Amino acid sequence: MAEEPQPTRAVVLRLESVRKRFAADRPAVLDGIDLELVEGEYVAVMGESGVGKSTLLNVLAGLDSPDSGRVTLDGVDLSTLDDDAITRLRRRAVGFVFQAFHVLPYLSAAQNVSLPLELLGVPAVERNARTTRMLDALGLAALAARLPRQLSGGEIQRIAIARALVHSPRVLLADEPTGNLDPRSAAQTLQVLRAQVKAHAGAGILITHSRAAAETADRILTLDARGLAAEERR
Amino acid sequence: MGAWRVWRLLLRAQLREQPGRLALNVLSIALGVALASAIFLVNGAALAQFTGATRRLVGDADVIVRGPAGGFPEGLFARLARDPAVAVASPVVEVDAAIAGRTEPLPVRGIDPFRAGELQHALIEGLGGATRDLFQADGIVLSAAAATALDLKAGDPLTVVVGDRPTRLRVVGVMPKTAYSQPLGLMDIASAQWVFDRVGRLNRVDLRLVDGADAAAFRAALVGRLPAGVFPVAPGTEIGRAATVTRAYRVNLNMLALIALWTGAFLVFSTQSASVLRRRGSLALLRALGVTRGELRRALAAEGAFLGALGALIGIVGGAVLATAMLRVLAGDLGNGQLRVFGATLAWQPWALAGFFGIGVLVSAAGAWAPAKAAAQLPPAQALKGGAGDPAATVRTGWRLGCALGALGIALAWLPPVAHLPLFGYASIAALLFAAVSLVPTVTVALLRAAPRTGRVTLDNAIAQLRDNVGAATLSLASIIVSFSLMVAMAIMVHSFRQSFAHWLGKLLPADIEMRVPPNADTAFWNADEQRRLAATPGIARIEFRRTLHLALDGRQAPVTLIARDISRATAARVLPILRQSAVRAPPDPPPAWVSEAMVDRYGVTPGARLRLPLGGRWRTFTVAGVWRDYARSTGAIVIGRAAYAAATGDNAATEASLWLAPHADADRVGQALRARLGAPEAVQITTSTTVRARSLAIFDRAFTITYALEAIAVLIGLAGVAFAMSSTAIARRAEFGMLRHIGMRRGQVIAMLAEEGIILSSLGAVYGLIVGFGLSLVLVFVVNRQSFDWSIDLAVPLARLCLLGAILVIAAAVTAAWSGRAAVGGDALRAVREDW
Amino acid sequence: MSGGGAARAAWLAAGFCACALAGAPDRGTPDTRYATVDPALALAFPADFGSHPAFRTEWWYVTGWLHTAAHAPLGFQITFFRDRPDIWRGNPSAFTPRQLLIAHCAISDPKRGRLWRAQAIERAGFGLAQAATGDTDVWIGRWRLERRDGVYAGRCFGTDFSLSLRLEPTQAPLLNGSGGYSRKGPGENAASEYYSLPQLRVSGRVLRAGRSTPVTGTAWLDHEWSSSYLDQAAVGWDWIGINLRDGGALMAFRIRAADGSSRWAGGTIRTADGRTRTLQPGDVRFRPLRDWLSPRTAVRYPVAWRVHAGNRVITLEPLIDDQENDSRATSGALYWEGAVRAFENGRLTGHGYLELTGYGGKLRLH
Repeated sequence: MAEEPQPTRAVVLRLESVRKRFAADRPAVLDGIDLELVEGEYVAVMGESGVGKSTLLNVLAGLDSPDSGRVTLDGVDLSTLDDDAITRLRRRAVGFVFQAFHVLPYLSAAQNVSLPLELLGVPAVERNARTTRMLDALGLAALAARLPRQLSGGEIQRIAIARALVHSPRVLLADEPTGNLDPRSAAQTLQVLRAQVKAHAGAGILITHSRAAAETADRILTLDARGLAAEERR
Repeated sequence: MGAWRVWRLLLRAQLREQPGRLALNVLSIALGVALASAIFLVNGAALAQFTGATRRLVGDADVIVRGPAGGFPEGLFARLARDPAVAVASPVVEVDAAIAGRTEPLPVRGIDPFRAGELQHALIEGLGGATRDLFQADGIVLSAAAATALDLKAGDPLTVVVGDRPTRLRVVGVMPKTAYSQPLGLMDIASAQWVFDRVGRLNRVDLRLVDGADAAAFRAALVGRLPAGVFPVAPGTEIGRAATVTRAYRVNLNMLALIALWTGAFLVFSTQSASVLRRRGSLALLRALGVTRGELRRALAAEGAFLGALGALIGIVGGAVLATAMLRVLAGDLGNGQLRVFGATLAWQPWALAGFFGIGVLVSAAGAWAPAKAAAQLPPAQALKGGAGDPAATVRTGWRLGCALGALGIALAWLPPVAHLPLFGYASIAALLFAAVSLVPTVTVALLRAAPRTGRVTLDNAIAQLRDNVGAATLSLASIIVSFSLMVAMAIMVHSFRQSFAHWLGKLLPADIEMRVPPNADTAFWNADEQRRLAATPGIARIEFRRTLHLALDGRQAPVTLIARDISRATAARVLPILRQSAVRAPPDPPPAWVSEAMVDRYGVTPGARLRLPLGGRWRTFTVAGVWRDYARSTGAIVIGRAAYAAATGDNAATEASLWLAPHADADRVGQALRARLGAPEAVQITTSTTVRARSLAIFDRAFTITYALEAIAVLIGLAGVAFAMSSTAIARRAEFGMLRHIGMRRGQVIAMLAEEGIILSSLGAVYGLIVGFGLSLVLVFVVNRQSFDWSIDLAVPLARLCLLGAILVIAAAVTAAWSGRAAVGGDALRAVREDW
Repeated sequence: MSGGGAARAAWLAAGFCACALAGAPDRGTPDTRYATVDPALALAFPADFGSHPAFRTEWWYVTGWLHTAAHAPLGFQITFFRDRPDIWRGNPSAFTPRQLLIAHCAISDPKRGRLWRAQAIERAGFGLAQAATGDTDVWIGRWRLERRDGVYAGRCFGTDFSLSLRLEPTQAPLLNGSGGYSRKGPGENAASEYYSLPQLRVSGRVLRAGRSTPVTGTAWLDHEWSSSYLDQAAVGWDWIGINLRDGGALMAFRIRAADGSSRWAGGTIRTADGRTRTLQPGDVRFRPLRDWLSPRTAVRYPVAWRVHAGNRVITLEPLIDDQENDSRATSGALYWEGAVRAFENGRLTGHGYLELTGYGGKLRLH
C-alpha cells in the first residue's frame, strides 16, 4: 500500500481487494488489488504484457466489473450502480486516452474533442469555448477543422488527450498513450498529459511499458501476479 | 435527451459516410409505402364512387324488394303500395340492356319518375325538364357517364337489342354529372316494360315506410309474403355489395403491396445490421465515453425510424401521385374488372395515409431495432479490441426462435378464414418467413462446416471467412431470402392458377366455335325459332345452346349465375371440371344440379344435398349431383339441365351456344352464315374456341402483371440489400484485403474471392429461398387463395422458371460482390491497414 | 343504326318471320287525339260530375272559408287536376301514363301568415290513382274528392296538416258561359266546359301540426274541362268565385295578355232568388289596387282588386297577403290562390277565393 503524502487531500479513486478472473480454468488477472488516489495525484502503472493493466483500467472506468472487491469513485461505490448509472458517472467523471487512437474518423478534430461536452449537454457557446481552449492548450488550434485521416499519429493522440480532458474529469485514465508514437512525439505527448492532468483533472493514471514515460508521473506502481506495489518515489 | 444528441451525431456521420445506404433504405420504405397507399387510395376511390352511386340509386328507400332478372308480376307492386306501413312504393324495371355493337351492357332503369322522385330525389332531379319527354315510349335519358361512353347527346338514337331484335330508342336528355356518376339510362317504367318485353312484370320495388315503422321487422314479415325468388333487401346490404364482392380482391392486392414494404423492413434490418457491425468500434468508443446502453439503442432505432419516416413521407406523396395516374389510366380497376368506375376522384384520406406513414416508420424502426439492441448489448471493452458477438449464441437463439415460429406458422395455416378473409393464412406466411430468417444462421453454419477444403486458395479463404462471420453472412442473406422466397411462392401460386385455369378453359370450351349475346346483358337472347334457324346453318355438325341468367337465392348475398345447358349425370364429368360427385340415385330424386365451389362456401350446399331454386315464381328442388370448379363467376354458379329449366320456367331462350363444325367446314364462313341468320348480329360475339382460350389467358396474364411487377420490385430491393451488405463488409475488410495484397495475392484474386463469397452466399440464399418459397406457396395455394376466392387450384411448380430465377439471382449477387470488391481493393493497401481499428 | 338496317334486310331476304318486325311499332310519334268542347252539347248530370278522359285538361277546384269553434277564419283549397299527356297510345303496359292526376291542397291561416300546403302527382292506374267517369270520384292514394248521395267528401294529407271535409250542395249547379260552354278567348278554339257549385255547406276537421280542430264553413266548387284552354296570346288569368252573404254567387274571370291587358273576360252572377246572369267580356273589368311581392319567388301579385261585374262593383281584400302556391313540381304552375273578403259600397257582402295565374311567366297547362 502506497503512503499518503498529503492526508488532507480528498480521495478521488479507491480500489479495495479487487479481483477479476476471465475464465475459471485460468488464473485471476487481478487478484486482490488495493489502490487509493487523491486529488492532484498522477500515477504511472507499469507491468509486463498480460499482467492485467488494461483490465485494471477497464475496472476503474466501470467498463468491466470486478468479481469481488470494491471500486469507489469520489466516494460512490460502483458496485451499487447499474450499467446506465456507471455510464453516466463515466461520462461526467472519467477521461480516457487509448493506446490505439480511437477517434471517430468522420468527425473533425474539434468535433471529436467536444464530444464529451456534447454528451453532457453543455450549451453550444460554452462547448465551443472550452473546446477551443483545449485545442489551444495542446497546440491543435490550426488543425481544428481537419478530419483524423488528414492528421499524423501524434496529432491524433493529442486530440484523444484533449477529448479526455475537455470536460475536466475527476480521473484521467491513459492506456499506453504513446505506444504508437515515435520518441519525439511520445515525449511531447507525455509532457502535455502531465501538464493537463495537473491543470484540469482530479487525478490521473498512466499505464505504460516505458520507464521514460513512467518517469513523468508523481509515482510509479508496478503490477504483477502478486498485486500492485509502489516502486519508487520521485 | 442524451439519445437525441447521440442520434444526431450518428446520423450526421452516416449521411457523410454512407449516403447511398441511407438513400436505399429511404427508397425501399418509400416504395413500399407508395405502392401500398396508391393501391389503397385507388381501391378506396373506386369503391367510394361505386358506393356513392349505389347510395344514390337506393336513395331513401327502407326496403328494396328485388326479384330475378325475368321479374315478378306487377300486382305485387300494387299490393305493397297499399300496405298501411308503406309510405311510398316505387316500381322499377331494371335491366342491363344489350347495346348493338357494344360488349358492355347499359344498365337501364324503368321508373315512375313521380314515385322514384320521392325516394331517389337527387337522381330524379337530374331529369330536369325531361320528365315529360320520358313519357314518350322511345324516350331514354342518359347519365353523363353513359352519354360519354356511348358518345351520344340529346336527340340521338340509341339501338338496344331485345331478344334478337334491334330496337331504336331516342335520347331525350342527358343528366348532369352531379346527378349520377356511373353509366345509366332512365326510362319511364311503361316504356321500359314495353321496349324490353316485360309488360306486366317488374323486378324491383323500392319502399319507404311510414314514420315510426320498424324496417327490419317489416322486411322479416315480408319474406313469407313474397313470391319465390323475390327478396326484401336492406339498403345497407345493397350499398355494401360492391365492397363485399370485391373485398377479398382488394385485401389481397393490399397485402401484395405490403410485401414491398415488408421486404423494405428486412432491407433496413440487413443494412442497419451491416452498418452497426461496421461501426462497432465507433459505437464502443461512444459507450466508453459515457453513452448509456439505452441511449445507444434508442439512437440506432431512431435512425431506423427516421429513415422510415423520411421514406414514408416520400412514399405517401408518391402514392398519391401514382394513385392519381392509375385512376386516370385504369378507371379504378386494378385488374379484376369489378371495380371499373367512371370519374372516380382521389379522396384525401388523412387517417389512412397517417396509418401508412405509421406502418412505414414502424417497419423501419422494427428493422433497426434488433441490430440496435445487439450493438448496445456488446461489452464496450471487448468491442474496442475488435471482437464480435458470440456466433454460437446467434445460432442458438435463431434455432430456438425459428423452430417456434415455424411451428406457429404451420399451425396458423390450418385455421379457417375470418369474415371471408384469409387473415390466419397471411399470419402463417409472416411466421414462416420469420422462422426462415431465424434459421439462416443455423443452416449456414451447418453447411459451411460441412464444406470441404478445395485447395483453391480464394475459395477456401471465402468459405473460411464466411464461417468465421456467420452474423454478417446471415444479415446479408435475410433480405434476399425474404424477397426471393416470396417471389418463388408467388410464381408457384400464379403458375398453379394458370395451369388450373387453362385446364378449366379446355373443359368449358370443347367446341370449335363459341357464340353468345353480350355477357351480363339480360335483354338479348335467341328464342326457340331463332335457335332452330341457327342450328340449321350449313357447316354445323352439332350445336349446343345454353341459357345463362342471374338468380338471387336470398336477400343478403349477390346473385348467383344459373346455367341451363344440355347435361346429364352421365355426361357431367366430361363437360364440366367436376371436383366431387355424389352417388347416383334412383329417378324419384329431384333433377340434378351441379354447383361451383363458391356455392359450397357461400351457401353450404354439398354433394347429395337438396338445393332449392326460385324458378318461374316457385321454389323448385334439385339434387346437388356434383361440385365443379369455376373461375369465371365468383359469386357462385349452378348448372342444371335445359329441359328441367324449361319445364320449370317455360323459358326456351338461349344466350350462348357451342358449335362443332362439320368436316371441311370453314369457321369464318360458318360465322358469317350464322350472322346472316341473326336479327341483331352486331350484338352477338362469334369466336373460335382457340381465340377465346388465347384471349382469356392473355387477360389472365394481364391481371397478374401487377403481381409480377410488385414481385420484381421486391427482389430488386432484396438484391440492393445484398449489394449494400456486401460492399459494407468489403469496406470493413479493406485492411484484410490490404494484408492479402501485401502477402502477394493479386487484385484479381481478391475480387475473385469476394465474387466466390457472393456466389456461395447467394446460392445458399437461392436454394434456401426456393425451399422456403415452396413452403409458402403451399400456404398461398391451399389457404390464402382458397379462403379468399372460393375456388381451388391445383399445385403446379414451374421448375425451369424458378431455376432460371435462382441463377439470375446468383449471377447478380456475384457481380455485385465483385463490384463492391473492386471498390474495396481500389484504395492503397497501407492506408487500409492503418484505418482498421 | 345502319348495322341494324342491314341486319333487318338480311333477315327479310332470308324470308324468316317478318311478322315479328311488322309487330314492332315505331314508338316515336305521339298520336293522341283530344276531344274538343262542343257548344251544342248540353251538360248532363251526374255523368258530367265525373271525369272526361278524352279531354286534355280537367279540374275539380274546391275553395272556401272555414271557421273553427273559436271563430278563427281559415281559407282552404282542395284541387284535383287531370292531365292527359300527348303520348303514343299503343303501349299495353299498365303503367302507361294515359292520365296524370295532380292535387293541390292548402290552408290559408292568418295566424301562420302563409299557406299550409301540399301537393301530389301520380299516373292513373292500379287503383292507386284514378279519375272515375260517371260521377265525381278522383283520388291519388289517400287524397280524394268524391261525390256520393249528392254530398261531396274531400280529403288531403300534407306532411304537417290534413283536411277532411264534408261538402253539401245547397243549390243547383251554376252553368257558366252558354249552358256550361265557356269561351276563354276571341277564337272559337279556346273554350271549356265549366260549371260551379257555390254555397256548399262545409263541416269537418282540420289537422294542423298535430292538433285537430272541428270546422264549419262555406265553399265553392268549380269543375272545368277542356283541350285548349288558353290561346297563344294569353299568359294567364285572374278569377274570382264569391259566395255572397245573401245566398247569391258571383264568378268572374279575365284572360290576360302579356302586356297585362284583358284578352277575354266573362262571369256569372246568380242572385239570392236564383236568377242567373251571364257576363259578357264587356261586362267584366279587373282593376288592381295593391301589389304584394313574394319573398320566395320575387313575383309581384296584385292581391287587392276592384272588380266590375255587370252592375256590381266589388272590392276584394285578401285574408292574408301571402297565399302564393308554388306547384311547379307537380302541375308546373306558380300561382296565387287565396281567400278574399268582398266589399260593396264599403259593406262586407261576401267571402270567396281569388286566383291569379301567369304572373311568374306564361302559365303552361300540360
